[in-house]
Amino acid sequence: MAESNQPPIPDDEFADPLENYDAPDYADPLEEALDTRRVSDLQAQPCETISVDTTVADAVKKLATIHHACLLVEEGGRLAGMFTDRDLLDRVVLEYQECRDQPVHTVMIPDPVYVSESDSPAAVLAVMAVSGYRHVPVLDADGMIAGVVSPRRITEFLLEHSPSE
Amino acid sequence: MGLAEKFASTPVRDLNLREMPICDVGATVKEAVEKLQEARVGCAMATEDGKPVGMFTEGLLRESFAQNPGVIDETIAAHMAAPFPKVYLDDTVDMVLAAMQANNTRFICVVDADEQIVGLTGQKGLMEFVAEEFPRQVMVQRIGDTSTTNQREGA
Repeated sequence: MAESNQPPIPDDEFADPLENYDAPDYADPLEEALDTRRVSDLQAQPCETISVDTTVADAVKKLATIHHACLLVEEGGRLAGMFTDRDLLDRVVLEYQECRDQPVHTVMIPDPVYVSESDSPAAVLAVMAVSGYRHVPVLDADGMIAGVVSPRRITEFLLEHSPSE
Repeated sequence: MGLAEKFASTPVRDLNLREMPICDVGATVKEAVEKLQEARVGCAMATEDGKPVGMFTEGLLRESFAQNPGVIDETIAAHMAAPFPKVYLDDTVDMVLAAMQANNTRFICVVDADEQIVGLTGQKGLMEFVAEEFPRQVMVQRIGDTSTTNQREGA
């Protein structure tokens, strides 16, 4: 091991770099959970995925069969888009005869905003509040699809961590 | 005051309520869809003689439409939720949260003491409330793959 050129610091001269660090002060367990828990704790599974080449008709059937409001659209295991109830409402229902046999990538949300498994639940709230997305895809450290946080799950999280009466 | 305490003490009237699209109960699904598209929300109230009688949502549309795309020519009466989830203006925000979970919905109708429709709240309103009340926890978060500095004003 190489020896340091720096002489050792006498104990009476050592200055703790964290001396002035103030630990976060949380007003209640919910605020603490929003800040300190991780998206991986939100149980963002199961999530349903379809390929970018799936037809619109098959995507609609799958949404209804699994009773979910959101499908993640993948290409080679990576997130390519998201197909949700809102896309069905805005781009499919009134043009169904024209688009039913088209691939889902023609009507999906491309490149949706996502969070990482290691992000805090507050990051999910930020996406929902600022970007307006109600379903937030979760990617793992390798950038692969790991799940999706639904409105129901985030509601459960808020209730779970709210102090009971 | 903590977040949970805010939920329990803030009245629904203090949320940013959105306008609730209104359709006559005899309107077709197609007409309701056009209203939802125009209002850019996923929920409309069905009324009969001016009184709210049911809620038509994008989730209900998904279930009906997948079964039969021809539903767009049917009336919304057969495809709405009745009774519908509602809160009063003086209810607290935590009651919105509870109503969303109990009814497994993102949309909650807000009514006044006379049961008249005042607006729409739900998941979006709730998330906006948390973000506005607790910007230190929420608004400093990185969104998507954009670096934090690129999102901040003045960066």
